[in-house]
Amino acid sequence: MDPLWTNIFRKKLDEESLAYFLKHLPIFSELSPRTLQIVESAVHVRSYQAGETIFEAGDPGSGMYMIRSGTVKIFIQDQNDTEDELAILVPGDFFGETTLTAPAPRSASARTLEATELVGLFRADILELAGKYPVVSSGILLGLTRVVSERLQAASLEIRRLQKQLGEHKPPETIET
Amino acid sequence: MSQSLQKNRSWDRAQVALAFFILTAAIACGLAVYSSASSLLGLLQTAFSVLFLPLLLSLVLTFLLDPLVSRLERFFSRTGSIFIVYILTLGLAGLAILWLTPHWQDFWRNIGADLPRYSGQVILALKNLIASLHDRIPLIAEYDLSAKGHNWTEQLMSAILAETPQSAMKVGGLMVIVPLFTFFFLRDGRGIMRACVALAPNRHFEMVRDLSFLVTRQLSHFVRGRIIEAVIVGLVVAVGLSFTDIRYAPMLGIFAGVTNLIPYIGPIIGMVPGILIAFVDLGHGGQFWWIVILYILIAQVLVDNFILIPILISRVADLHPLLVFFAIIAGGKFYGVIGMIIGVPIISVIKIALLEIRTYRRTFRLPESALEGERLY
Repeated sequence: MDPLWTNIFRKKLDEESLAYFLKHLPIFSELSPRTLQIVESAVHVRSYQAGETIFEAGDPGSGMYMIRSGTVKIFIQDQNDTEDELAILVPGDFFGETTLTAPAPRSASARTLEATELVGLFRADILELAGKYPVVSSGILLGLTRVVSERLQAASLEIRRLQKQLGEHKPPETIET
Repeated sequence: MSQSLQKNRSWDRAQVALAFFILTAAIACGLAVYSSASSLLGLLQTAFSVLFLPLLLSLVLTFLLDPLVSRLERFFSRTGSIFIVYILTLGLAGLAILWLTPHWQDFWRNIGADLPRYSGQVILALKNLIASLHDRIPLIAEYDLSAKGHNWTEQLMSAILAETPQSAMKVGGLMVIVPLFTFFFLRDGRGIMRACVALAPNRHFEMVRDLSFLVTRQLSHFVRGRIIEAVIVGLVVAVGLSFTDIRYAPMLGIFAGVTNLIPYIGPIIGMVPGILIAFVDLGHGGQFWWIVILYILIAQVLVDNFILIPILISRVADLHPLLVFFAIIAGGKFYGVIGMIIGVPIISVIKIALLEIRTYRRTFRLPESALEGERLY
C-alpha cells in the first residue's frame, strides 16, 4: 500500500483510539504511551442514551467520568423539583473527580442531553492498579492532584474576587449589622 | 348463554375432533416442554455437582496464588508470571509428595490391621466404663457394645476400601482439572469479573464495580487467611507429634490441618484420632500427655487463637455456633465429608459479602447537611 495512505490511515485510527482520547485529558496528559495502555485496560467505556441519568445527588460517588462524545448536564434539584443547572459539559470534559480518592455522596445530579459515551474511572480501579503497577497509579494520582489543585486555586481566586466585589458594593448600613 | 350453547351444539363432528386434537397436542407439547425442561435442569444439576468441587478448589487456589502472580507481573507478562508461579508450586508440591509418600504407603499398609485394633481397645475401655456405671446405677441397660463396635469397624473398613479407588480416580481428575481451571482464572479472572460487572445497568454500574472490588478483596483475605492458618496448625501438630513415638504423625498433622478449616468442631475432630492412637499405643505415659497438650494448648490455644487468628483472620467472619452446626449438617447432606469441610467457609463467604454491602451502604448514608456543602459535582 502507498505509505502516504497507510500514514493517513494510521493517524485516523490513532485519533479514534481510547489511548488518544485519554492522552488529551489533563489528568493523563503526562503519562507515557505504555502507561496509557495500562490505564486503557483499567477504565470502563459506557454508552448512554439521550436523557439518561448518570447519577443523582446523594448517590454513592466513587469515581470520575470523562466525556468521549455527547453532552452532559450537571444540575441540582430543589424541593419543588425545579432543576438548577450548574454546567453543560462537552467531549473532553470530566466530572466527579473529587470522589475518586475520597468517596462521598454525589452533591449534584448528572444527566445526558444526547446519546453519550462516557469513560469511567473508579476508586476500585485505582486501588487495583496501585497493587500491581504503583508507578502507573502514582502517575494518575499526580495528574489528578494537579487538576484538583488548579481548580482549588482558581476557586480561591474567584472567592477573593467576589469578596472584594461584595465589599465594594455593600451599602454601609449592611456592614454595621 | 343459551345462544352460546346453541352455537356449541352447532359444532359438527369434524370441529369437535379438531378441537380435541389441538387440545391433546397442546397438552402433549406442555408435557414435552416440562419433561425436557426438567431433564435439562437435571443435566445442569449434574454438571454443577460434577464441576462444583473443581471450580471451588480452583477459586481457592486462585485466591492463594494471585498475590504472587500480581507481584511477578511487574517484571514479566501475566501468562509468564503464572507459569513461573506454577513451576514454583509444582516444585513445592513435588517435595511435599516425596516427603509424604513413604508415610502414606506405611499408612495404607497398616491401617487395615490397626483400625480394628484401635477401635477394639476403645470399645473395651467403653465397655469397662459402662460396666462400672452399671455397677453403680443398675437401671442402665447393658448394651452389646463389642458386637456393635465390631460391626461399625467392619462397615468403616469396607467403606474405606470401596471408596479408595473411586476417590483416587476423583483426585486424579482433580489434579488435572484444578490446575487448568486455576490457570484460566488467574489469567482471565479480571476480564471475567469486568465482563460480569459490565452487565450492570448504567445507573448501578458504579456501585456494582465498587462492591465487586470490596467483596473480592475481603474474600481473598479470608480464604488466604484460612488456608495459611490450616497449613500452620497442621505443621505444628505434625512437627510436635514427630517428637514422640506415635505412628502416622504426618497424616495426623494433615488431618488436624484440614479439620481446622471448620470452626468450633473441627479442632476437636482433628485431635480425636491422634489422642486415640496415643491412648492405645503409648498408654497413659508422659508422651500421651505431651500429645494432649500439643493438640489443645500448643496448636489450638497458643498458635491458633493467640497468634494466627488475630494476625490472619478478621473477627468479622465469625459465625454463630448454631450457624456453624447448620452449615456442617447441610454441607454433609449435599456433598458428604467434603461438604462438611467447605460448608462453613461458604457460609462465612456469604456473610462477608453481605457485611461488605452493609458497610458500603452505611458509608454513604451521611446527614443531609453534607449534601449542602460547598463541594461541586
